[in-house]
Amino acid sequence: MGRTHAFIHPRRGIVAPGRKQRATLDGRVDHRFQVSLRGVIDLLSHHLYSSPGVYVRELLQNATDAIRARQQLEPQATGAVGLELREKQDGGPPTLLFTDEGVGLTEEEIHRFLATIGESSKREQLEARRNDFIGQFGIGLLSCFMVCDELLVVTRSAKGDGRTLEWRGRHDGTYDVRVSEHPLDAPGTHVYLVARPDMVEWFTPERVRQLAKHYGGLLPFPVRLTVDGKTETLNPDGPPWRRFYETPGDRRQALLEYGREVFGTDFLDVIPLRSEAGDVDGVAYVLPASPHFNAKQKHRVYLKQMLLSESAENLLPEWAFFVKCVVNGNGLRPTASRESFYEDTVLAKAREALGQSLRKYLMDLAHEEPRALQRLIALHGLSVKGLALDDDDFYRLVINWLPFETSLGVMTLADYRRSWPVVRYTPTLDGFRQVARVAAAQGLCVLNAAYTHDTALLEKLPHVVPEAQVAPFSSADLPQSFEELTLDEREAIYPLLRLAEAVLAPFRCGVEVKKFFPAEVPTLYSSDAEGAFRRDAERAREESDDLYAGVLDGVMAGAGGQERALLCLNLHNPVVRRLAEVEGRELLKLSVEMLYVQALLLGQHPLNAQEMALLNHGLLGLISARLDEGGGGGGSSGPGSRGMH
Amino acid sequence: MGDWHQQVEALRAQADELPEGDAKVRALEEAVRLVDVHGDVPLGYELRDALIDAATFGGYPDKALVAFAWCRGQQKKDPQRFDPEDMLWKQKWVVGRLDEFPHISRKQIADALDDVEQSFAKLDAGKRAALKLRYQMARDMGDTAEAERLWEAWLVAPRDHLTDCRVCELDDELDHHVDKGEWEQAIQKAKPILDGRQSCAEIPHLTLGTLLYPFFKLERMKEARDCHVRGYAMVAKNREFLSTVGEHLEFLALTGNLSRGLTLLEKHLGWALEHASHRDRFSFYTASSFLLGQVVADGRDEVSLRLPKAFPLHAVDGGYGTRALQDWLESQARDIAARFDARNGTQRFTGLLARNTVLAKEARLFPLD
Repeated sequence: MGRTHAFIHPRRGIVAPGRKQRATLDGRVDHRFQVSLRGVIDLLSHHLYSSPGVYVRELLQNATDAIRARQQLEPQATGAVGLELREKQDGGPPTLLFTDEGVGLTEEEIHRFLATIGESSKREQLEARRNDFIGQFGIGLLSCFMVCDELLVVTRSAKGDGRTLEWRGRHDGTYDVRVSEHPLDAPGTHVYLVARPDMVEWFTPERVRQLAKHYGGLLPFPVRLTVDGKTETLNPDGPPWRRFYETPGDRRQALLEYGREVFGTDFLDVIPLRSEAGDVDGVAYVLPASPHFNAKQKHRVYLKQMLLSESAENLLPEWAFFVKCVVNGNGLRPTASRESFYEDTVLAKAREALGQSLRKYLMDLAHEEPRALQRLIALHGLSVKGLALDDDDFYRLVINWLPFETSLGVMTLADYRRSWPVVRYTPTLDGFRQVARVAAAQGLCVLNAAYTHDTALLEKLPHVVPEAQVAPFSSADLPQSFEELTLDEREAIYPLLRLAEAVLAPFRCGVEVKKFFPAEVPTLYSSDAEGAFRRDAERAREESDDLYAGVLDGVMAGAGGQERALLCLNLHNPVVRRLAEVEGRELLKLSVEMLYVQALLLGQHPLNAQEMALLNHGLLGLISARLDEGGGGGGSSGPGSRGMH
Repeated sequence: MGDWHQQVEALRAQADELPEGDAKVRALEEAVRLVDVHGDVPLGYELRDALIDAATFGGYPDKALVAFAWCRGQQKKDPQRFDPEDMLWKQKWVVGRLDEFPHISRKQIADALDDVEQSFAKLDAGKRAALKLRYQMARDMGDTAEAERLWEAWLVAPRDHLTDCRVCELDDELDHHVDKGEWEQAIQKAKPILDGRQSCAEIPHLTLGTLLYPFFKLERMKEARDCHVRGYAMVAKNREFLSTVGEHLEFLALTGNLSRGLTLLEKHLGWALEHASHRDRFSFYTASSFLLGQVVADGRDEVSLRLPKAFPLHAVDGGYGTRALQDWLESQARDIAARFDARNGTQRFTGLLARNTVLAKEARLFPLD
C-alpha cells in the first residue's frame, strides 16, 4: 500500500480479471503494449462521450449501481447521493465532492477496476464491460479526467474489513492506494474532483445542478446538491406520471406542463403508456403539427430511472409517429450507442404493448369524442391510417371517417359509399390526373389513392366490410363509361377509324371512337402502368449504347404489359366530327398523327424518337397544307389549329 | 405548363420524404417523365440518378436498369458533362442484378461485366469490387468451379474507394459458408452484425434472413426465433426483400408455424406476382411451395386466404385447395428454374427447388406463439 502504480503496468495492469496471464513456451513473460491514458481519454471523449458534462452522468451511474448492489446485500438500505461544491478561498478552481451510500469498493476491486481502465480502448469491449458493475465503475471514472487532472476516491466497502481506502489517480496514468487517515463512518464512496482550470465552467452551481437534474431527476433515491452550506434535493417527486393528482384535469395539465419542459413543445394531449414486457411506463404526447411521413420521433428514455437517451427511436410501432414519449424501462437492453434499445423479443413485446396503449386512446376517442378524433385525423391521418392497416377493429371504427381526394372533390369514404356502390380508385397520382377531369365530366367519382397507405387501405375494405366493392381504375377503364355511337355515326366514322388504326399500329396503339365529355377534349390516350414503363424503356433504349440496348431488350422480353395502348376519339368534339368528313387521305393521316402526339403530350407522356419525328414532320405538313389550300390568304380559320397548345 | 419545374421539385421533395418502396419510385418516375416531356436532359439525368437509388432499394431492379441505361447513353454522348465515374458505384448495383432476368443472355452478362472491369481499370481501381461482382454472378448462375476460384481472388484483392463497405462485404461472405453448410462459421462471422455493432442500408435486414437456416440446423432455436422476429419486421414493408421474406417463410414452415407462414404468403404473394427479379420470385415461390407442402402434410385440404385479385387462381370466397395451391406455386418455381438453368447451362435452380424435399424431412416443431 502507498506505492505508486502505473495504470498499465507489466505485473497486473492490463490483464482482464479471471483471464490467465500468458507465458510463452520457453518461459519468458510476455510484454505488454504501453497504452497512454491520455490517449485513451481522448479516444473516449471523441467516441464514447458526447460532451464533458457526461462526467456527472457517469458518476451518477456509478452511484446508482453501487446503491443497487448495497440494496442486494441490505434490502433496507435506501441510499442517497450528494453533490457538494467547494469554492477555494483563494479563487483557485473549485472542488466537487460526490458521495454515495452505496456498496463501496474493496482493495481488490479497486485494483480490478483500474485493470479494466487499461485493458482496452476499443469501444465495443468497453461497452461489453458496462454490464458488470466494477468494469463500469472504471470506465465511468475515466470520464472525470475530461474535466480534472487528479481524482481522489475515498471508499469503504460494505463487504470488506471496515477499512477506508484512498485511491488517488492522475491523468498521467499513475495512481496510488493507501489506507485513509480519515475513515468513513459508513460504507459508501466519496469522489473528489478538483476542476481543471480550463474546465471550471463545468463546475458552476448552475451547471452542476442542471446536469444532475437532467440525468438523475427521476432517480428513486434522493440526489442532493450542497452549495455554500445550503442543501437542496434535486429530485423531490419522482416520475411525474406516477404522482398522485386530485383530478384527471390536474393530471393532464401537470403532465402537459412536464412535456413542455422536456421537449419545449405545447402538445395537444397526453396518453399514459404501460408495458409489462420490459417493465416500461411513461407518457406519450400528441404532436401539435403533422410530422414528416415515418419521421422517427426521438423519445426520452430512462433506464432504471436514470436518463439513458434523449433520442431513442425504436420504442413504438412504426405507425405511431404522431407522438413523442418520456418513458422509463427497467427490463430493456440498450444498444452500444445507447441511443436505442436492442431489438429483442422483450422489446418487440413492449412495443406491441405500448402500441396497444396508443390504440386504446384512439379507440376511446372514436367512441367518446368523435370530433376530437376527426381533428386528430386531419393532423395525423398517416398514423391513424397506419394503425388501421395493421388492426381490423380499429379499421372498422375509423375507415368511414377518413377523407379522400376524388374527381368530384374531397369527401369521406362514408360520403363516397352513400352515392357510389363501387369504390373506384387510382393507385398513382399520374393515373389520377389522367382520368380526373374526364371522369368528372362523365359524372364518375374516382378516388385518388396515390397517397401513402390509401391503396392498401381501400384494398382492405372488402376483407373487413364484406359487402363493400372496390376496384382499381385507370384511363383504360374510362372508355367503358363513354357513350356508344349510333349506327349512322358508326358508318360515317368507319373510314376514319380504319385509317387511324393503320396509322397508329406501328406505335402499338389501338383506336376507338366514342362520345364523351367534356366536348373540348378531342382524344383520350390510355395505357396501364406497365405501358408507361414500356415507353420509358423504349426511350432509354434509343438513348443508350448497344450493350445496354441489348440488355434492355432482355429485361423487357420477360416483363408483362403487352397490352396495347388505346387512343379514344371523342365524337362530341367538333374537330373530330369534321375529320370524319375529310376525304383527303394525306390530310387525314396527318391529322390522326397530330391528334395522337397531342394526346400523348396532354397526358404528359414523353415522346420517343419516332413520335418526335411525327411531331416535327406533322407540324410542317400542316403548315404547308394550309399554305397550299389558302395560298397564305385568309379563309375560314380551321378548328384544327386550336387543339395544339 | 410554366410551372412544370415546380411540379418536378414537388415530386422530388415528396420522394425525399418517403421511405424506400413503391411510392418513392413512382414519384421519381413521374418526375422523370415530366422532365422528358420538356426535354431537359441535365435535369433528367439528375432525377434518374435518384431514381436508380430508389428503384434499387425499393425492389425495382428493372426500373433501375432502364434509368441507368438512359444515363449511360448521355455519358457516351457527352462524358464531360455526364461523368461516367460518378455513376460507377451504381453501375455495380445494376450489373450485379442482370443475372436475375432470365431473358438476358450469358453473353450480355459477360459483356456487361467486362465493361464494368474496363471502366474501373481506367481509374486504376475497383479490382476488388469487380472480382466480387464476378464471384457473385458465377455463384448465382451455378458455375461452382469459377465461383470457387473467384472467391479466393476476391478476398485477397485490395480494398479501395469502389469496394463495398465492410459490413456489406461481410454479409456477402456469409453466402459462401451457407452454401458449404459451414453453419458455425457463418454465424461466427456475422457476430458483429448480429450484435448490432455494424450495419448498413440493407444490413442486418438480409443477414437475419440468411442465418435462419444455420441457426435451425444447429438447433439454436432461440437465436433463430430472434432472427425471425427482428428480421421479418425489417423486411416486411419493402418488396426489395422478397427473397428474404421467402427465407422467413421457409423458416416458419420448417418449424411448423404454418398459420404464421400462410399470413406471410397472403401479404407478399402480390409482390411475387409482379416482381421484376425472377430470382426473387423463384425464392419466394419455392419457399411458399414448401410451406403448402407442409400444410398438406398436416392434413389440411382447404385453407382460407386473402390473396390478391391478380392471382390466377383467385377465389372470391377466399377458399383454396391446398394441393392446387402448392401445384401452382411449384409450377411457377419450376418454370423459372428451367429458364434460368437453360440460360446458365447449369442445374443450380433445379437443385434449389429439389432442396424442398430435404427440408420436409428436417422439419421440426418449434412454436413461436
